[in-house]
Amino acid sequence: MSENKVKKQNQNFGVLWQRYGTIGIFLLLLVVLTIAKPSSVFNSSSIPQILKQSSVNILLALGEFFAILIAGIDLSVGAVAGLVGIFSAQMMVAGIPVPVAVVAGVLFGTIAGFINGMLVNKTDLHPFIITLGTQSIYQGLMLVISKSQNIYGFPTSFTATMSASVGFIPVTVIIALIVAVILWFFTTKCKAGRNIYALGGNKDAAWYSGVNVKLHTLVVFMISGTCSGIAGIVLLGRVGAAAPTAGTGYETYAIAASIIGGTSFMGGKGKIPGVVVGGLIIGLINYGMTALTIPSSYQKIVMGALIIISVAIDHLVATKK
Amino acid sequence: MEALVRMENVTKEFPGVKALDNISFDIMPGEVHILLGENGAGKSTLMKILSGVYQPTSGKIYLKGKEYDRLTPKDSYDNGISIIYQELSVINELSILENLFVGKLPSKKVMGMSLVDYKYMNDKAKEVLEKVGIKRSPNTMVEDISISEKQQCEIAKALVSNADVIIMDEPTTSLTTSETEHLFSIIRQLKKEGKGIVYISHKMDEIKQIGDRVTVLKDGTYVGTRNVEDVSVDDMIKMMVGREIKGTYHNTESDDLSKEPVIFEVKNISRKDRKVNNVSFAVHKGEILGFAGLVGSGRSELMNAIFGAEPKSSGEVYIYGKKAEIKSPYDAIKNGLAMVTENRRETGFLDNFSIKQNISIVPFLKTSGAKGLTGLVDNKAENEYAAKEKADMNIKCRDVEQNITELSGGNQQKVILGKWMAAESKVVIFDEPTKGIDIGSKSEIYVLMRKLASEGKGVVMVSSELPELLSVCDRICVFRDGEIRMTYDISEATEEKIVKTSTGE
Repeated sequence: MSENKVKKQNQNFGVLWQRYGTIGIFLLLLVVLTIAKPSSVFNSSSIPQILKQSSVNILLALGEFFAILIAGIDLSVGAVAGLVGIFSAQMMVAGIPVPVAVVAGVLFGTIAGFINGMLVNKTDLHPFIITLGTQSIYQGLMLVISKSQNIYGFPTSFTATMSASVGFIPVTVIIALIVAVILWFFTTKCKAGRNIYALGGNKDAAWYSGVNVKLHTLVVFMISGTCSGIAGIVLLGRVGAAAPTAGTGYETYAIAASIIGGTSFMGGKGKIPGVVVGGLIIGLINYGMTALTIPSSYQKIVMGALIIISVAIDHLVATKK
Repeated sequence: MEALVRMENVTKEFPGVKALDNISFDIMPGEVHILLGENGAGKSTLMKILSGVYQPTSGKIYLKGKEYDRLTPKDSYDNGISIIYQELSVINELSILENLFVGKLPSKKVMGMSLVDYKYMNDKAKEVLEKVGIKRSPNTMVEDISISEKQQCEIAKALVSNADVIIMDEPTTSLTTSETEHLFSIIRQLKKEGKGIVYISHKMDEIKQIGDRVTVLKDGTYVGTRNVEDVSVDDMIKMMVGREIKGTYHNTESDDLSKEPVIFEVKNISRKDRKVNNVSFAVHKGEILGFAGLVGSGRSELMNAIFGAEPKSSGEVYIYGKKAEIKSPYDAIKNGLAMVTENRRETGFLDNFSIKQNISIVPFLKTSGAKGLTGLVDNKAENEYAAKEKADMNIKCRDVEQNITELSGGNQQKVILGKWMAAESKVVIFDEPTKGIDIGSKSEIYVLMRKLASEGKGVVMVSSELPELLSVCDRICVFRDGEIRMTYDISEATEEKIVKTSTGE
């Protein structure tokens, strides 16, 4: 026992940061908010509020996580979420049953991810370029399909379900957590998940070890697209309308959540629980700034600073080794 | 006449290895001095000491008569020593002109400001480019010129810096015959101007053509210096070969391996890029088949094509007599074919994985479905693989959960061997398996290779170290220009014969 203690004390900052950095940031922010405005934390609606604000971020970040894990990126997650929202909204308004519209919407997201993956594989370009392009294409499609109009008037069965809670936990959060648990299982227990880590660590060594690089890259973008699709449905339910510009800029939050959650930009390193906490941090920042009545424009500044700081610390830790 | 460079009794020790032992070497003005020796003989180390990259452990260096204990890269440059590496160092994204002056742009004062002196640059460039025979505009981008022109560009760069001594490391490896001729005429011109040239090469005919004196190194020791016209090619080969072999690992179980059943057979393998042309070979039970040849002769390209890591245009692979359709390393694993690659860091291990995960990846893929997508991670099996291979391969580590980058090169290599053993591979291709690893681990790997062969597994070994091939293999195929030129049984194989076949003498 005492030996363990000594060992723990000897752990350098690098190990501590990698292990507890994400949760540390979360607690630090919570403490700051508690000191600044105790009433915003100690009330019955604070936790559901923070969770609600986090669900879309967590879902998008879960998909983004895989793209970053293979040393790539997916800039189209926000656009895919928005496009899926428009698509499902159109179907619901046209009278197609809610479950069908929801499933079709999520599948639509999967297809959008499949297109990203195919383009990356066929062109051999960096995903940054491909998804920068498809981001613009998907956003353009949103405007075309919606004719630049808000779409609303869905069956109440849909909006009511999406804004309901089980106990004090909102349904949207439960959806995000179910997705997280499935992906956590995938990354830790499935061979395909292990292969994706290998691919992210060293593409060539993974190939020589038998990993089919293109196939797994395609799977990564399909997962990202599917998560974005689910996020699009959740966003639609929470807002109650599909805006032609919904989801714009959300990729920044998704990237921030993954990175603050401990995913290495160099690829091959990161864990699902970290990403979930990363998504919660984004939600907490949004909630806290609203509670402190700080204008939303400042939220972007804080988010940007947080991305740079967490990557910089990560980089310092990595190079010190 | 005073020597441009004189190195006396230079010794260089790396931890655990004496790379150079008491070497003397000099360069006179107006001569081409050949530096000859096998891989690992110490040629590069000696030249790195001369260019200031390494510091000698002991010995003296005289540059134009001035004594130095050690050189810095600046000492070397200031004294007119210029080195042209085999992998050229010109920058593709710059023009020829910019490459010539990179890092040393001339300046002139205009109204108190220091500006780049383009006039001087253009005049000087014109002069040196004419000398080396580049007929292009100095503003041509280097990415648009041929390899041989890039090399001329490197020589021009040396001339710009007023080099007196130009070291060329295997300059003709990627040149055609006429390009080589052109290079030689440039070298002759440089000789006339009193420059000293150090020429590192394995190609005997070239040495005879261009060399004045030849110094031979072997295992980091000095063998001798001769006038090229006084020695025959056979003499030179005799001087460079014959290294000490500690122990042999040959087959002792079968009297005639050629009567044993064929375990692994390759028929008519060719590649689209023509680096491999119509190659066939067979490995018998209990046999280790070696592949000798110069670096770049196409041996690794052949193995990559067989393993499915790079595409082949035609050819068939048979394992235990059964045809194996191999289009990717995944297919190879499924068919029981393994490959230990030449570059551990680039294509061998996964640096974000633990020892355990590096071992389990291959057996996991072998038992997966849908090209690796289906199947669950079996933690119990994974621990068993790791424990077994740690013991079998004698991997020295604290814990199999350790990251693989914490291990020494030899132990990393054992982990890589372990991953293929855990997948119960039937045939293993070893591409330079002992490159950059310590002597102790080397012999452990030889023992393992022999053990695999006697267990009835197919073993193929590619190596550029002839003593290693001769002490391990039972038959040796000699590769040159993408084809097997000769296959020697170990009873008739000698270093001389192999060197002759691989250089085309």
